[in-house]
Amino acid sequence: MKTSNVQEKSRGVLLFAFNTEINKIKIDYVKIAEQAARLSDKVLGLPVSLITDQKITSTFFDQIIYVNNTLKNYKIGQPGAWRNGDRFRAYELSPYDETLLIDSDYLMLDRSLLKLFEQEFDYRIMTHNYSQTSSWPDCMGTYGLPYQWATAILFRKTDKTEMLFDLVGRIQRNYSYYLNLYHIKYGSFRNDYAFTIANNILNGYDLEMSQGIPWPMLTFTEVVKSITFANDLITVKEREKAYVIPCQNIHVMDKEYLLSDNFADFLKSVCKN
Amino acid sequence: MSDLEKITEQIRLATDYQVNKRILREKIQTDLHIPYNGGLFKVSIELIAFLNAWDSDDLFLEDTYQNPVKINRQELLNKCREHYQMVMNTWHCQHEDIKRARKV
Repeated sequence: MKTSNVQEKSRGVLLFAFNTEINKIKIDYVKIAEQAARLSDKVLGLPVSLITDQKITSTFFDQIIYVNNTLKNYKIGQPGAWRNGDRFRAYELSPYDETLLIDSDYLMLDRSLLKLFEQEFDYRIMTHNYSQTSSWPDCMGTYGLPYQWATAILFRKTDKTEMLFDLVGRIQRNYSYYLNLYHIKYGSFRNDYAFTIANNILNGYDLEMSQGIPWPMLTFTEVVKSITFANDLITVKEREKAYVIPCQNIHVMDKEYLLSDNFADFLKSVCKN
Repeated sequence: MSDLEKITEQIRLATDYQVNKRILREKIQTDLHIPYNGGLFKVSIELIAFLNAWDSDDLFLEDTYQNPVKINRQELLNKCREHYQMVMNTWHCQHEDIKRARKV
């Protein structure tokens, strides 16, 4: 039986990027992942590997791992494919013993997640998410499980972690069955749901068995006009609101903003510090 | 854009001090966590007071993940005090900064 061992292990960040088109707008996830890799390299000091189906050359990545993503998924209310599948292959494809698997729109601006690697664990999943403009239900449906967020997952290559990712793969392949079983109304495949269900099964259906990250993730759900960095504070301007916040990891859901020149300027100002 | 529209936009974009304060507090709560001997502890005044008052040096304490972790009381106390002071100083400085940033 493999067990967690925190000594002399390789450690790195793993990103997925499958370019897509939503509402006739092409989202270049590879470019977003490159920006995320620059931040992770600068702030965390960790190598970053990319899993993609695009044949690319890029100096931002430690390794580029090519896969054939075949999941045909659709986001409700948004025409166009949403290619968020195959996350379960992270365990098999990660080149690291200790992996920080993050969405490319979760920007690493502090080192808080590294604290978790100093403990013994199989995996840790983001459990709390908060936003100033949106609210999420605590559970996945009226009788559903408490939400977990696949936006950030830390894992080590242990038997238990392997089972988690295998289960997520099984859930992806049989998603309609699990939707009914867990009373989930939202029909599109979501990694958040798949990891939540897999985690619940793996912990013997015990909701008290937390594998969660004990602090929340700050998410910006609205259209972002600009983000600037000065004096260790970040200023985020949305259409009608602005926030001045300490430098911390932020989840920016506005993909168009992450592809903008303003975001590139923001990265430059963070990376030169 | 007319002057009135510009002013209206600026007012809309006025930062909300209470919201910024709340976000800063969440970040400070995150920063208060420290790893120690394979466990994770959130430094609090209760933890510091307990470590200060306990009369033996080796004991087991429950961490954030509800695991008992073997600790050296004096060593953890020193770490907690140092960390607490650093985080609280940061909180104070950043709180002063965001108070000044009512408008951007």
